[in-house]
Amino acid sequence: MSIEIKNINKTFESKKTEKLSVLEDINLHIDDGELICLLGPSGCGKTTLLRLIAGLDHPTSGEIVANGEVVKKPSGDRAVIFQQYSLFPWLTVLQNVTFGLEMTKQGSKEENIAAAERYLTSVGLIDFKDSYPHELSGGMKQRVAIIRSLLNHSPILLMDEPFSALDMQNRHKLQEQLIGVWKRFENTIVFVTHDVDEAVYLADKIVIMDKNPGKIAKIVDVGIERPRKRESAEFIELQESIVENLDMGE
Amino acid sequence: MFDNYKNKFIPFIVPIILIFFWYLITNGMGLFSSYILPGPIDVVNSAWTVIENGKLLTNTIDTLFKVFAGLILASVIAIPAGILLGWYKTLEDLCTFVISVLRPIPPVAWIPFSILWFGIGTLPAVFIIFMGCVFPILVYTIDGVKRTDKVLVESAQTLGANDWNVLKRVVLPSAVPYVVSGLKVGIGIALMCTISAEMIGSSSGLGYMILTATNLFDTGTTVVGMLVIGLIGLAFDFVFTKAQDRIFW
Repeated sequence: MSIEIKNINKTFESKKTEKLSVLEDINLHIDDGELICLLGPSGCGKTTLLRLIAGLDHPTSGEIVANGEVVKKPSGDRAVIFQQYSLFPWLTVLQNVTFGLEMTKQGSKEENIAAAERYLTSVGLIDFKDSYPHELSGGMKQRVAIIRSLLNHSPILLMDEPFSALDMQNRHKLQEQLIGVWKRFENTIVFVTHDVDEAVYLADKIVIMDKNPGKIAKIVDVGIERPRKRESAEFIELQESIVENLDMGE
Repeated sequence: MFDNYKNKFIPFIVPIILIFFWYLITNGMGLFSSYILPGPIDVVNSAWTVIENGKLLTNTIDTLFKVFAGLILASVIAIPAGILLGWYKTLEDLCTFVISVLRPIPPVAWIPFSILWFGIGTLPAVFIIFMGCVFPILVYTIDGVKRTDKVLVESAQTLGANDWNVLKRVVLPSAVPYVVSGLKVGIGIALMCTISAEMIGSSSGLGYMILTATNLFDTGTTVVGMLVIGLIGLAFDFVFTKAQDRIFW
């Protein structure tokens, strides 16, 4: 599913301050099956843009078209994986994973459970299928959240810094697994991050954003063949050139 | 192992000392007449009498029946209403003033009307209990619904859940711990209300038993009634605390 972002503006209004322009004139085309990273400093509106694509917030002007339809509200076609852990604490891992299938009434119960078990096996979480989220580590929780969206056959995955709370080792492992499932399922992925290394490792295209107001500064085609090696010359080179261009402004 | 033994013994030290001094100043030294302050032996004698003639059991069952009737009635109304008010902001804004004014009125203040409307018997007591626990349950439920984690609601939406499913599958389960807290508070209030209501507008129950016993100078039975109320409260608290422990989220 392709995504077309047309002339998006988003301003927040509050009583005390004047209008705050968060996103200004955003135009972006995302191809079907593409993996895009939105990269920028905090406050550049990258999460806001992701929420607009998801339909969780509404643009002040402009429109977003996903697979030929204007986005008006959230849908099972566009799954969001949040930075905060978002598993339902009162459901087991297996029940969490099949939640979307129940909501969208896909498949019989037996089929769904079998599919869920297959997916959980593929990421090494099958032994935890009857565990509750509070018994899992952070990395496991995010893997379950990703499985939950994949199993729901969401053609678009919107990921909001999903690995930022993990330690480096786990982060690298999950990035690798994400590339694995993306190749297998050919989802369109929009991945928000403030980590240059993560963007260079994952993305087909990196959309670099500026803040105040949030707008697209530059689009970089990564063009490094996968599997990417962090120690390769081209990886380091690209990373450095992005860091130079990027005003992280912390 | 010794620690474990010690810890189990500790809660009983103070009650044993208290009972000993109680015995000392009453039955032991006879400082008070048994009418003004009955001693432990008087109480045990009274307890034996009311157990033997079945009065304690029937009155306890009667009181518990009222407590449950009032509590169930209040839950049936307050939990659905709380879900609606917590979910629809406009509805809450419409009702918040009325709730804020009615809520601080002590339930016993409804006794005159409860007698006027329902006469003497079980019904006025149930009404008082209802008035006592409907507001805590309502307010806790509203709070629980409103505190539903936004990320969970949004996750469900992006997994394809419609509004009804969000309410049923996300908001309700996440409000459960708050509803249980509301019930726990409600049942404590209900017990207090029951006794007050029974003393005024009733002809049965532990409150009635306490009052009639006192009028007959049988204050031993009064103490028995008071202790049973305390033990019932303890039992309820135990059950609800266990229920809360089982809810781990």
